[in-house]
Amino acid sequence: MKTTFQSHHYQEKEDKFEKAVKQAARLEHVQEEIGGFLEVEKGEESCKVTQHEIAQDVDITSATKFFELELRQFGPYRMNYTRNGRHLLIGGKKGHVAAMDWQTKKLMCEMNVMETVNDLKWLHTETMFAVAQKQWTYIYDNQGIELHCLKMLDNVLRMEFLPYHFLLANANAKGYLSYIDVSVGQKVAGCQTSLGRLDVMCQNPSNAIIHLGHPGGTVSLWSPNVKEPLVKMLCHKSGTRAIAVDSKGSYMATSGIDRMLKIWDLRTYKALQSYKLGAGPSNLAFSQKNMIAAGIGNTVQVYKDCCDRAMSSVYMSHQLKESVGCLQFCPFEDVLGVSHGAGFSSLLIPGCGEPNFDAMELNPYQTKKQRREVEVKMLLEKIQPEMIHLDTQKLGEIDMKTLQEKTDERNKLLFLKPEKIEFEPRYRKKGKSKTGKFEKRKKGVQEEQKRETVKELVQNKSEEELKRRKVQDSIPKTVLDRFRKKSA
Amino acid sequence: MKVKVLCRNPDDYLRETKRDIHKLPRNYDPSLHPFEGPREYTRALNATKLERVFAKPFLGSLDGHRDGVHCLAKHPQSLSTILSGSYDGEIRVWDLSKRECVRTITAHDGFVRGITFHPHGHHFYSCGEDKIIKQWNSKAPLLDKKEEPMNTILGKHIYHGIDHHWKKDIFATCGECLDVWDEERMEPVRSFTWGVDTVGSVRFNPIETHILAATASDRSIMLYDMRGSAPLRKVILKMSSNRVCWNPMEAFIFTAANEDYNLYTFDIRKLNLPLNIHMDHISAVLDIDYSATGKEFVSGSYDKTIRIFPVDKGHSREVYHTKRMQRVQCVRWSSDNKYLLSGSDETNIRLWKANASEKLGALKPREKEAFQYNEKLKEKFQFHPQVKRISRHRHVPKLIYSQQRELRIMRQSEKRKEANRRAHSKPGSVPFVPERSKHVVSEEK
Repeated sequence: MKTTFQSHHYQEKEDKFEKAVKQAARLEHVQEEIGGFLEVEKGEESCKVTQHEIAQDVDITSATKFFELELRQFGPYRMNYTRNGRHLLIGGKKGHVAAMDWQTKKLMCEMNVMETVNDLKWLHTETMFAVAQKQWTYIYDNQGIELHCLKMLDNVLRMEFLPYHFLLANANAKGYLSYIDVSVGQKVAGCQTSLGRLDVMCQNPSNAIIHLGHPGGTVSLWSPNVKEPLVKMLCHKSGTRAIAVDSKGSYMATSGIDRMLKIWDLRTYKALQSYKLGAGPSNLAFSQKNMIAAGIGNTVQVYKDCCDRAMSSVYMSHQLKESVGCLQFCPFEDVLGVSHGAGFSSLLIPGCGEPNFDAMELNPYQTKKQRREVEVKMLLEKIQPEMIHLDTQKLGEIDMKTLQEKTDERNKLLFLKPEKIEFEPRYRKKGKSKTGKFEKRKKGVQEEQKRETVKELVQNKSEEELKRRKVQDSIPKTVLDRFRKKSA
Repeated sequence: MKVKVLCRNPDDYLRETKRDIHKLPRNYDPSLHPFEGPREYTRALNATKLERVFAKPFLGSLDGHRDGVHCLAKHPQSLSTILSGSYDGEIRVWDLSKRECVRTITAHDGFVRGITFHPHGHHFYSCGEDKIIKQWNSKAPLLDKKEEPMNTILGKHIYHGIDHHWKKDIFATCGECLDVWDEERMEPVRSFTWGVDTVGSVRFNPIETHILAATASDRSIMLYDMRGSAPLRKVILKMSSNRVCWNPMEAFIFTAANEDYNLYTFDIRKLNLPLNIHMDHISAVLDIDYSATGKEFVSGSYDKTIRIFPVDKGHSREVYHTKRMQRVQCVRWSSDNKYLLSGSDETNIRLWKANASEKLGALKPREKEAFQYNEKLKEKFQFHPQVKRISRHRHVPKLIYSQQRELRIMRQSEKRKEANRRAHSKPGSVPFVPERSKHVVSEEK
């Protein structure tokens, strides 16, 4: 800080930030809705409570949220909720695709794409969705009209949509991970992971990093900027079956063929909890209130509060007729959507949804005009893929190294005498060898040389500094050091 | 068993009638708002780009003079009245809202060197090359009557500038020497000389109203106190100054527009070192005027540009130029802090916006909030390289661009040579001289 005036100025700014944080925290009292809960008497166990019992005890509108769609004909289903929890997309393996507003039970579209459907995802609003079919990936309108056929994405097994970057991440059967910008329609990045068939995939909602699970028990973390995995973790002794990451980006739940369910801390990459279950869950999902849903064969089990401390018992459990295909908690509702071999079931899980939504981010009650405005705003604020990092706070920090290097270079460049290099540029045709351009080329080479020497100087200087510091640290310090004569 | 499932009443979240506004419940939990840093950064980048897109500062030109415009004067009470004096002795009164000339006066036989209003705005004074000072009524005469001055004073030498006291009925002229006149007398009340050839311009201090600053041909800036009989102090610079202007908010700060392409801000309590040197022009700076807030000033220069400088920074924040605008002789900042006026050699007075991308007119409250938010975002991210690069970008005529580069190379080579001298001679023999003291020659009492 240069002067007291400036330091006062900065202190005032810091105080403003603190005040803002306190005000935001105080506003929690103003929030209207209270979350759901399930309290059982002393003798009973909460996991024995059935969905029908809950549906009978609860009011009518909530009871309508528990329903089942029996669709045995078209194979195991996959499903996806929109980000505001209003619309549902289900797709059967044999090609049946349907989009509906599940709260009013209004069907938006239903069709058969006549091909194997591997995965489906809603795009940024409920007007478009992407379906990964047998050969290529298609994008459909919510009326069922095919908008695009993306031939650059072939044999896609799993997709994830990164909403703030407008990126659709696709994991291939051949081990290729690619990112498509859906607002522009261009492929932004892609790399061959060389880790085999990619059919376990999950995104970290807080920093847009893609987690992939592999048959060796490893989990790798990818970003579009780097051609190699950012982090590779050995999670299980045998293959990884499912991964899920919570909405704050602090916990990751993984399950493996070795029947373990492990909870990992994503800041330190250390295992927090590990539970041994009857069989390894084939699907995992986190809710907004950090409950975990695990699909084990024909059953769905929900665990509450299992991340911070070891849980003692299962919170809720439900038996299905066929094995689980896909699980997702509905955002802002106390509902878990399960798609399985016999269709789709919507289960009531009290206390799993966030009761108070922020209408400036996601509004389940948005009108058509509001949706359009939000779409335009989202497109304007689209984050560039270069900003995807493990740590989102990096953007606010000062790049000390570059600053230091730049100032050193600038200071040195002024006072260096460049070495004379004998450089005769080659004669080029079409006017590129005019005297002016000739001289410019010669000068360019000189400048390059100068820069190289400066860089070397700076690097040598920093290396010397490091060495000197090491030497200093290695000499043991005693109390009587200050009486020793300092060498010149 | 007690169970409750989350259930919302749609009536609480949907508006009742079409005439209401939509309901927006808020939750400031950070887990619902991911990517704060990147999103704010993207918004700041968009705000900076939009600012450059909407930067259209030129509003219009006042056409009518038949020879170059030499001086401008602002009416102290009315925002839309401007006076301008030109090389052929004509003074024109302009109405800025209609952008037309309301009144034309053939005042002098040569240049009109200076015009100044009385603080009440009822009358104004003009002085010219024909050694005459004339006092005119601000109200135009009736249709059939000719333009007659209220008072005429015949002087002994050519007057170069005139300025009126901010409170009393006193005005000062400068030419061979600095004369202080009383409105009722025909002879100067007091004459200050300090052994100089010509005094180029004079200005009264708006706050400490008895203090005057004047620039002289011996490259100095002199300070006088009207209450005393002797001049106060003078500071001599390396080259002569063209104009001086006092800061309307700080009583003791003034800025001088110098011939060596720079502007110097001084504090009268410590005249031996300028507070700040403002460098960006590539030719002599001809005029300077402060904004009403006292935080920025505008300077017009012989290179055909106008620059806006913040008081505490050394470089300009904005540069205005047009192909048709030739040497800028005079600039004024309007008293409502929104507009700039520049009078130049090619007989035009141009009206510019002080904030190039500002939307004029009454703003709706949501518009105002959006603009304020964008300003704050730009301020927060101003040091990020991409944002800085875009906000700094100004298109500038080729001549100015190449001249600036040349000046930069010249200054860098001087620095390099001095550093080499220092490196190759006895330590301490080439001392470090701060930039500010390099431009001041001496201070005298």
